[in-house]
Amino acid sequence: MGHNPGWLRTRRCRYLLALAALSFIASAAFAPARALDPKLIDAARKEGGVTWYTTLVVGQIVRPMIQAFEAKYPGIKVSYVPAPWQETVLRLTNEARAGAVKGDLFDGGITFFPLNAAGLVAPYVVESAAAYPTDFKDPTGLWTANIIQVATPSVNTDQVAEKDAPKTLEDLLDPKWRGKMAWTDSPSVSGAPGIIGNVLMTMGQDKGMAYLEKLATQKIANIPAIQRVVLDQNISGQYPLVLAIYNYHAVISAAQGAPVRWLPLAPILTFGVIGIMKDAPHPNAARLFTEFNMSDEGQRIYAKAGYIPASPAVPATEATLKPDAGHYTPRVMSPLLFQEHEAEWVGIYKRLFQ
Amino acid sequence: MPAPDSALQLKTRRVGTKARAAFLGVVLIGLVGVLVIPPILTLLRTSLFEVTPGLNRGPFTLQFYVQLVTGRNLGAMAVNSVIFASCATMVSLLFGGLLAWLVERTDVPLKGLAYMTTIISLGTPYILYVTAWLFLFGRAGPFNDLYRLAIDPTVTLINVNSLGGMIAIEGFLWSPLVFLMLSSSFRAANAEMEEAARVAGASVLETVWRISLRLATPAILALALFVFIRNLEAFEVPALVGMPGRVDVLTTEIYRNIKSMPPQLGYASAFSVVMLVIVAILLSFYSRISKRAERFASITGKGYRPRPFRLGRARWAGAIVIAFNFIIVLALPLAAVLWMAIMPFVRPIRWTGLKLATLKNFAEVLSSPYYIGLATNTLLVAAGTATVAMMLTVVAGWLAARRRVGGIVVDQMITVPLVFPGLVLGVALLELALQLPVPIYGTLWLIGLAFLIRYMPYGMRYAYTGVLQIHPELEQAAGVSGASLSETLRLIVGPLLWPAIASGWLFIFLIAAKEVSLPLLLSGPNSQTIAVAMFDLWSNGQGGEVSALGLIWAALMTLFASALYVVLRRQSATTFGH
Repeated sequence: MGHNPGWLRTRRCRYLLALAALSFIASAAFAPARALDPKLIDAARKEGGVTWYTTLVVGQIVRPMIQAFEAKYPGIKVSYVPAPWQETVLRLTNEARAGAVKGDLFDGGITFFPLNAAGLVAPYVVESAAAYPTDFKDPTGLWTANIIQVATPSVNTDQVAEKDAPKTLEDLLDPKWRGKMAWTDSPSVSGAPGIIGNVLMTMGQDKGMAYLEKLATQKIANIPAIQRVVLDQNISGQYPLVLAIYNYHAVISAAQGAPVRWLPLAPILTFGVIGIMKDAPHPNAARLFTEFNMSDEGQRIYAKAGYIPASPAVPATEATLKPDAGHYTPRVMSPLLFQEHEAEWVGIYKRLFQ
Repeated sequence: MPAPDSALQLKTRRVGTKARAAFLGVVLIGLVGVLVIPPILTLLRTSLFEVTPGLNRGPFTLQFYVQLVTGRNLGAMAVNSVIFASCATMVSLLFGGLLAWLVERTDVPLKGLAYMTTIISLGTPYILYVTAWLFLFGRAGPFNDLYRLAIDPTVTLINVNSLGGMIAIEGFLWSPLVFLMLSSSFRAANAEMEEAARVAGASVLETVWRISLRLATPAILALALFVFIRNLEAFEVPALVGMPGRVDVLTTEIYRNIKSMPPQLGYASAFSVVMLVIVAILLSFYSRISKRAERFASITGKGYRPRPFRLGRARWAGAIVIAFNFIIVLALPLAAVLWMAIMPFVRPIRWTGLKLATLKNFAEVLSSPYYIGLATNTLLVAAGTATVAMMLTVVAGWLAARRRVGGIVVDQMITVPLVFPGLVLGVALLELALQLPVPIYGTLWLIGLAFLIRYMPYGMRYAYTGVLQIHPELEQAAGVSGASLSETLRLIVGPLLWPAIASGWLFIFLIAAKEVSLPLLLSGPNSQTIAVAMFDLWSNGQGGEVSALGLIWAALMTLFASALYVVLRRQSATTFGH
């Protein structure tokens, strides 16, 4: 893709990301809270509202975020359009073609790439994210991470005793899991293609492919919805073991009494980002809302909702969700890295698992 | 005895009436053409040109058609599609048809329960039903749960993610509609022939087999074709039930291609073009059958209000069918949805779970302005569409049933949108709206237009079969007595058609209110409908709130449906003089 920023140089990028992931908490650089430009706030007030196309779960995070923002900036109303990333991309692209962009900003793991390929994303360097690790934001401001996402398997604890839970990738080939596993059909880094990529990068091409061919005979169910829905089906007992849910969703539900536990088995660390549309009808309000998301205040709302904040200054409420406190080593897979291999991994998914 | 000059006047008037009917035919052809032809052209064009990353039109290509032929497992998917669509059609027809006959033509008890089930289920969005049945019959659902507790803990008795599961769910999903459509046919069936058969010594079964069923054959055939086509292009059940179990049908392939990034709209469109041709062939068969339908006209100027059959002891067998319908189509799924709505997360049904019960989801739905906006949008667009569609199709149905000038053409043209799977029609209209100089993209107008195109055929079926059952002698009598065309339509056809019009309106209103696939791509931030939001919220992990919203919405829709039903009953009582 020709629009990728220059720092996408695979090996170095991967190395940097891994380094960043392992060190960002320890090095938590506390950036001094900067005052936002009052002109931005005024301009946003004049626009009066902002429309957020979101892939996040409305009840968990979208509503609390909007409430806090509207309380802090009265007069700026946030409306939201919830949908999986593919639909979000379709809608925004169509609006742009119709010459009537209605969405101001969007989020999601890889929502950004197709939109950027169509030249629809406006750069904005987020001041509140100045202290974020450099790999968590685009240097020209096309995107900035709002949350860290760790994709892992999870088990229903009513159905799977601790000793029976799989510990390694090989364990997933046990015949007892045949027809009892599920994952999302979303062709993304935290869906089946991400797992496929992780296997290939961990085991190498030949061994990895041999493993995947065996895994395909386990008849994993493809659920046409996001990770949160797959987790719900795990909790309901429909599938005792599911792959590639977000570990924080499992912790959020377990805190409410759900029989679920995430497993540190081949975890993949990636992040969700926010971007602003070119020709956004409310560009200033969109910037202000993005600033709010990345600020300590906004990041604390993510943390309070159980998510993993992207800001190094704001710890996750449940510290063990992150690699160092959780004592696990994730495969760091930035959306950009995924994008490089997308065709290959999605191809394997379609060929072996669909 | 008429004076000679009045005979001449009569003749002139008849010629004038014919001319006016012809004019009406031409206007209607034009109107329907404007609605139906552009989406087809867009579809054709989408199937013949490549798409750039910016989703703009690229160079000409035949690759999508080549892909269609060489695509993997196309044969297996086609076979699955046909099995799925025909078996599910059988399930809905047998089940819904039996219910309709029991309720309309016999003295079975519990009729009220059958109506209640139908009305509530018509108001309940499909996605709620599908998720409820998936939950009920799923591995962790109460049925498999009970089996494991009582009989064999290692066996999962029912695998819902199978072709059988898909057929059962799709069949039950459509049986209330079949009930609704067939009940109006049975209600208006000719009692004279049945009476004659009974007098001649025929049993109930013989009468039903040799008279009632034969009389209802055109209506049943038309309906079977409808449901079959709708099942062929079904989207919710193949996606939610079939895909996780890897049972692929043709629409699953379309769905996957639209969902993949970038969307393979060309391939999906090529598929739809082929489907358009197949359905066109099916429809021409249908047209040939219905040409002979006049023989079956059963509402004549004579007394025609049928007397119910006495079932005797079989009444209670009938009651069991109605009770079964109530339990499987209404009580169980709604109980499952209620369970999902009051739980903080989805879990198996257990008494111990009740400790965790919460009304939080209901509170969120009732207090959020977002949902009120959705409800207003949905009611506006569904009622508007139903009204315009029925106005249009009553005239079209009359022209077609009476073989007036242009009638056959109008009939064929109005039926064309049936060939569009909802998602594909959505894509075609999206392309159109993006190119139109009128800024309707992202507004409710576009969704209304899409609904009108999609549901015209359904309104047409109601209007057409309604008119077919009114014997032309009534209109001829009106004509002889000096009524003009508009008077005949307004004073004779209209009132007699009222049950069909009201049923059609109700049908379109309720089905439009829960349509997901069509407005999915057309809705902007301010023109979202309830069903779309429910689908999006569900796939975005908001299952509990979707359940609460669905229950509240189903309750509201039930109010609408019942109110309309009361009006319909009262009106038909005055029309028929009972």
